Amino acid sequence: MKELLGKVDEPGIIDCSCLLKGKDVIVSSFSKSKRNHETIAKQTFSYLFLNVAKQKTKHDEAHLEIGEQRLSGFLLKPGLVLVCLSDKNLNITKVRSHIQHIKHLILQSEVDKMLA
Amino acid sequence: MKDYKILFTGSVCSGKTTAIRSLSDIETLDTDASASDVTVRRKKNTTIAMDYGVLELTSDARVHLYGTPGQERFRFMWEMLACEFAHDAIGMVLMVDNTRKDPFRDIRFYAKEFSDYLLKRRLIIAVTHSDVEPSPDYQEYLSALKNLGIMTTVMFIDARDPRAVLGIVEELISAVERNIDWDSVCDRLLDNNGFTLDFYKPLYEETLLDAAMNKRGVLGAMHLGDEQEILCSNIDDKPTKNLMRNIDRLTDAISDKAGFLGKVNNVVLAGPDVQTLSVFNDKSQSLCLCSDRDISLPVLKQQASDLLQWSIENDYLA
Ligand SMILES: Nc1nc2c(ncn2[C@@H]2O[C@H](COP(=O)(O)OP(=O)(O)O)[C@@H](O)[C@H]2O)c(=O)[nH]1
Repeated sequence: MKELLGKVDEPGIIDCSCLLKGKDVIVSSFSKSKRNHETIAKQTFSYLFLNVAKQKTKHDEAHLEIGEQRLSGFLLKPGLVLVCLSDKNLNITKVRSHIQHIKHLILQSEVDKMLA
Repeated sequence: MKDYKILFTGSVCSGKTTAIRSLSDIETLDTDASASDVTVRRKKNTTIAMDYGVLELTSDARVHLYGTPGQERFRFMWEMLACEFAHDAIGMVLMVDNTRKDPFRDIRFYAKEFSDYLLKRRLIIAVTHSDVEPSPDYQEYLSALKNLGIMTTVMFIDARDPRAVLGIVEELISAVERNIDWDSVCDRLLDNNGFTLDFYKPLYEETLLDAAMNKRGVLGAMHLGDEQEILCSNIDDKPTKNLMRNIDRLTDAISDKAGFLGKVNNVVLAGPDVQTLSVFNDKSQSLCLCSDRDISLPVLKQQASDLLQWSIENDYLA
């Protein structure tokens, strides 16, 4: 799993990332100094996607700008969210296309894990 | 009662407001002075105003003075003035600020903008601020206008001087109304009484929602106050409304608990085949937008910041 996040993190695009299952962080590359962001991300995205599910809308992507940073959450499948931290001034399409690219890798590894 | 109308136009700061006001009683000048007391109260819409005044000429004749709003963004109202309020005006006064880099360019611009309007009525060019910048002078105006093929009267005035402004009114009205004692009107003017003047007649109410709906790709908007109370909204879908209020609640909570990380500026929710939902915070208010999913986030952010700015500015106008 950890290697996967290594693929998500990309200098100049994504500073660090983590994977949320429900309300828990199952793997993370957030450094100690960025722990607060991780906590915010955890609470924010679990709350947001819970709300999205309750209201039955099809939103699967959320972004939160806080200070100079941006936290993005991508709902990979119900209950599983990929979080990444980027600079708020970075064009969001870069983050998006990078994640789009990597999404299936993560899902695949999830599947592998379940089968294992 | 005979009612005459005159339309004043010209660039910002050319003296339209001053001209219309200078035909007034000093007491009424300050009717909008109390505005500063209410800046705390949030206002959900603004009154885009035109300058307006009425000047009594005789016991049965008066003239209504209309001024076009200056800012570019209110351009659409020029037509409203020309076609509705002042469609039957006997003349138009084009105020030209002589300190402008190219005053003749202003003339060309306004003459063109109002070309249809001017087919049927007189134009007077009133040059202001010539005390500050005397050039171009009267002769230069005449020859420039001749070159432009514009037949008109040029008057150099100081918009702050009621007698000078009254001179313009006289120039236009005396052709159609002969029995006016202009001297006594002038005396009365200088005595500051005998006038009914209404400044800033409301012309068009623009709400934040109207402003939002004019932005590209915006499909719905909601304005929330401090406590997530809905100040105004044109979003009908209940789940969407709930979702956005919850998001706003969330951002408040984060700002409360983790203020040290910086301000939560916005939260955006996106997805395939759904409208993009966004919540933008600004101190005690939030703006929620539903947008077409093809609108890029930078555009969305720019739109929201324009709108929030709009709303703050209007607070001060409240
Ligand atoms: N020095 C000078 N100031 C003028 C003259 N006419 C108007 N003003 C001033 O110019 C400023 C702008 O006038 P205003 O009536 O607000 O312009 P508007 O934007 O066209 O309504 C005000 O401070 C007036 O007092 C003038 O002929 N000379």
